[in-house]
Amino acid sequence: METAQPVIAAENLHVHFRRGLIGTPATRIRALDGMNLEVREGEFFALVGQNGAGKSTAMYAFLGLLRPTSGRVRLMGGAPELGSAIYRGVAYLPEEPHYHLYMTVGEALRYYGSLYGRRVADAEISSALDRLGLGPFRDLRLSKCSKGMKQKLGIAQCLIHDVRVLFLDEPTRGLDPIVVVTVRDVLRELHGRGLTVIMNTHVLSEVEMLATRVAIIERGRVIAEDSLEHLLRSEQALYQVTFEPNGSTPEYLLHAERRGEVVWGTIPAERLHDFMQFARDTGARLVECSLKKVTLEESFMKILKGDSGSSGVPNPPGPIPPEPLKTG
Amino acid sequence: MLGLLWANITAHLIYFRRSRLLLAFGLVFLGIIVLFALPQLFMATKLTVFDVIRIALDEMEIFLVIFSAALGLFLVSSHLRARNLKMVFTKPCPPGLWLVSAFLAAILVSLFIQLLITAVAMTACLAFRLHVQMGVLFVSLDSFAMCVGMIGYLTFLATAMHPVLAAVFVVFFNPSLFYLLRVQMLGFIESGSKNALVRILEPSFQLVYMALPVFHAFSDKTASVRASLRVDHGQWMHVFGAFGYDLALAALCYCLSLVFLQRKRLI
Repeated sequence: METAQPVIAAENLHVHFRRGLIGTPATRIRALDGMNLEVREGEFFALVGQNGAGKSTAMYAFLGLLRPTSGRVRLMGGAPELGSAIYRGVAYLPEEPHYHLYMTVGEALRYYGSLYGRRVADAEISSALDRLGLGPFRDLRLSKCSKGMKQKLGIAQCLIHDVRVLFLDEPTRGLDPIVVVTVRDVLRELHGRGLTVIMNTHVLSEVEMLATRVAIIERGRVIAEDSLEHLLRSEQALYQVTFEPNGSTPEYLLHAERRGEVVWGTIPAERLHDFMQFARDTGARLVECSLKKVTLEESFMKILKGDSGSSGVPNPPGPIPPEPLKTG
Repeated sequence: MLGLLWANITAHLIYFRRSRLLLAFGLVFLGIIVLFALPQLFMATKLTVFDVIRIALDEMEIFLVIFSAALGLFLVSSHLRARNLKMVFTKPCPPGLWLVSAFLAAILVSLFIQLLITAVAMTACLAFRLHVQMGVLFVSLDSFAMCVGMIGYLTFLATAMHPVLAAVFVVFFNPSLFYLLRVQMLGFIESGSKNALVRILEPSFQLVYMALPVFHAFSDKTASVRASLRVDHGQWMHVFGAFGYDLALAALCYCLSLVFLQRKRLI
């Protein structure tokens, strides 16, 4: 994976917006503030961050929809000039379904497909629509379609054309759970075919399920970038235990919580043997003992809290430094 | 490239077919024009049938010019306001090509209606044994040249400003108005007015008059044909000249529209 070509390379990317008619440097909004990022071929890359962190702006800049104030963006090795040949390998699913609402589902799919410079056969359209359950709505105007249907259409256009990179801006926002599962399945399938996916999202559970690499964005900068595996492994030196103590609890038990007879808590991995000995010695009944799973949400919150006191100097992208273990 | 162009033209034609705004606009203007022309039709006799055909043709040509302007304006502004162009330009379809397709689609619709009007007028002439077919053709070509210019100009204005502002701009910033204002200022100066404002306004109006596009080029030369529907051999040059002028205007407007379109934030 390390030798794969970068699909997106952003170097010291700044995007500033003018506030009001006459914008001074002081009143400018720094949507992106020195962003450095590299997405390699075959990755399922997730951009996560709070509202207004700059995720969508970053995506617009990668796609060429926004011109950077300074810095450089390369999309598949070239500058993202709108409508250029680079976009032959690119598909984009916007956050808001800004499609050609006067067209029917079938017409829109044919139109978007034909913009890649080839004639789209009826069978291809039918197959893509059926795959997403849109077959019966082929002749329905997009203005009459629900948001979920429009999102599915956006995904269908990616099925029709063999793109190399797929940009997804909040792909499951506002969708019902069934549509979310369908969209997720299709995305997994597309990524399985070797497609590079760049996704903006607030839904961290989705990132956990789909992404291979994650960048956390805060105030227009990448404050952490790593593989999902590494992000989730960072705290696996803890064990989650549930037991019924027969009197006292060990002093190394962290985050202990008692509910009736049962105690929940975590213990450092190196004390696991001691804990087993303690349970045997005191006659405590062990209910459950498992390696503590760290959710992305926990990692995300930790990283964000760690950054809140920073001086504003952009952190270089790279592995997240190991976090100290919290004590009870 | 041709396939891409045709795909976009087809999409625009679907828009024209389904746009309720455009339909409403067309019906309202058609209604107004028919209301104006209707009394003449009721008073038609065998002696006045020529005048009736001539007036009806004139009215329909006015309608077509206004409708053509609306085609360019609505097409571009509705796409910009719906923010769906980002779905087009993030594919290998450059803004320049999309804009060409918008011009061509509007021109195609305009041409189709023009052909319809011409066919009806010619049929009426044949039915009433009036041998003015060349005059009808001349007026149709002259009006169609205006339509091309109008489409270009309104497309440009739609990329540069809000559609309502664009419509207001066209109504108030027309060369005839500034010509009249300039003549008025000249009248004041000739009558001995020493007002400094008048002396500043006169060249200013002249400047605006010169800068604004004239859609009906050679109108003074073609007025006699419009009145009589009879064409002298040398007058065809004027209609071709008008075509040349309006095509050049459309080309200029295309370049300006492209500059504005590329500067637009499409997100």
